[in-house]
Amino acid sequence: MDAPWIRTVWRHRDVMWDGLVVTMQVTAIGFVGAVVLGFVLCLLVMYVKPLRWPARVLIEFFRATPIYVQLLWVNYVWPGVLGWPSSFFEAGCAALAVQSAGYLAETFRAGIEGISRGHVEAARAQGMSSLLVMRRIILPQAFHTMAPSIMNQFLVVIKSSTLVSVIAVPDLMYQALRLTAIWFEPIAILSCTALVYITVITCLSLVFKWYTDRLRERYL
Amino acid sequence: MLENLQQSLEAFDLALFWEYRAVLLPGLLYNFYVFFLTVGVAVGLGLVAATLRLSSNVVLRWIGTGYAELCRNTPEYITLIWIFYVPPLLLSAALDRNVSFSPLLAAVIALGLASSGYFTETFRAGISSVPRGHIEAARALGMSRSLTMWRIVLPQAVRHMLPEAMNQMVSLFKSTTLVSLIAVPDLLYQVSLVSNATSKGLPLYSGAALVYFLIIFGFATLAQRFSDPWRQRSR
Repeated sequence: MDAPWIRTVWRHRDVMWDGLVVTMQVTAIGFVGAVVLGFVLCLLVMYVKPLRWPARVLIEFFRATPIYVQLLWVNYVWPGVLGWPSSFFEAGCAALAVQSAGYLAETFRAGIEGISRGHVEAARAQGMSSLLVMRRIILPQAFHTMAPSIMNQFLVVIKSSTLVSVIAVPDLMYQALRLTAIWFEPIAILSCTALVYITVITCLSLVFKWYTDRLRERYL
Repeated sequence: MLENLQQSLEAFDLALFWEYRAVLLPGLLYNFYVFFLTVGVAVGLGLVAATLRLSSNVVLRWIGTGYAELCRNTPEYITLIWIFYVPPLLLSAALDRNVSFSPLLAAVIALGLASSGYFTETFRAGISSVPRGHIEAARALGMSRSLTMWRIVLPQAVRHMLPEAMNQMVSLFKSTTLVSLIAVPDLLYQVSLVSNATSKGLPLYSGAALVYFLIIFGFATLAQRFSDPWRQRSR
């Protein structure tokens, strides 16, 4: 008889791999959605007077609700009210995006406000349009101060993505729980799954740390 | 269109949420119960790990760092499930009798472990922000090591780490919602039971989201109010 982890995890590595791919998809889509939505919310708060308060309320709501509550809320309430999302996968991505958008909006705002007014005024005086100022003057400088928290938020999205298994999105966690239910070998399966997550997140956080240090060396 | 409108109205008709307060309120209290138990575990473990990280012994320092990183880099959900299933089986095999964790115990251990990693960082930063000169001065005046810690280091360190520790606690409260996944009867668990029984998920989930939002937003705002003067005084 093989060792339990060979019998369960290694024989089903294709299933686990499929799960990991879904995890990566959910994380990537959720994160990109969060960046876009967060940036829009940040611009609304900073530059569009009439929409400032609605945007603020949304940001605070996204930030102050636990991700799990948000996930269930998006999954059960949105389809009835908004007619979207139509699948569990979309609901999972939407919940992750909405959750992180609140945090990222605050990060973007802090980064943009950190740019000295003189730079912006100088660029405007040179005849640059507001859009060009944003793209050429504000964002490149703000990026250095925002990068650490953006990368940190990416790690948060990976960690939160384990929860989409609750609404039956077949990610790595979902496959692990399914295999556990079939084989009842929680020690082997859950430990291997935990190891996969820990390895991925630790490696990414090391890379991010290296990149942050390099940015700091170069620009401070 | 009309049907959609009707559903939107239903989604924010919180009367149903209020109707079931007799089951939902104890659920919310359970959230607070788990929260307070977990804060104890997390702060305790965090203090121990921070002490290890600041020790002069290289091996101990590595153990502290490794522990904090491990806790921080594991998704909370998998910590929760792992603690719920794996250690009881290992203990059963080792002790040769049936051991099982109650959901509450597993939840408190798992969330405690997960957030102790963040507390470790906060405590370490707070303690190392105290200038070495203060410690040396206290030692030169004849204070013992523990007295120096108690009278000189901690009062200053607490001031530095309080704002961060408050944030940590707010996110800890958010994680307590996860415990419903291993059948600890918290608010969200009760909500899912009621919504299965009545098949009226919309107002119940909206109500739960609203309640959590109000509590966490209120708590976070209070924490901010409370820690701003501290932050300024410590400068």
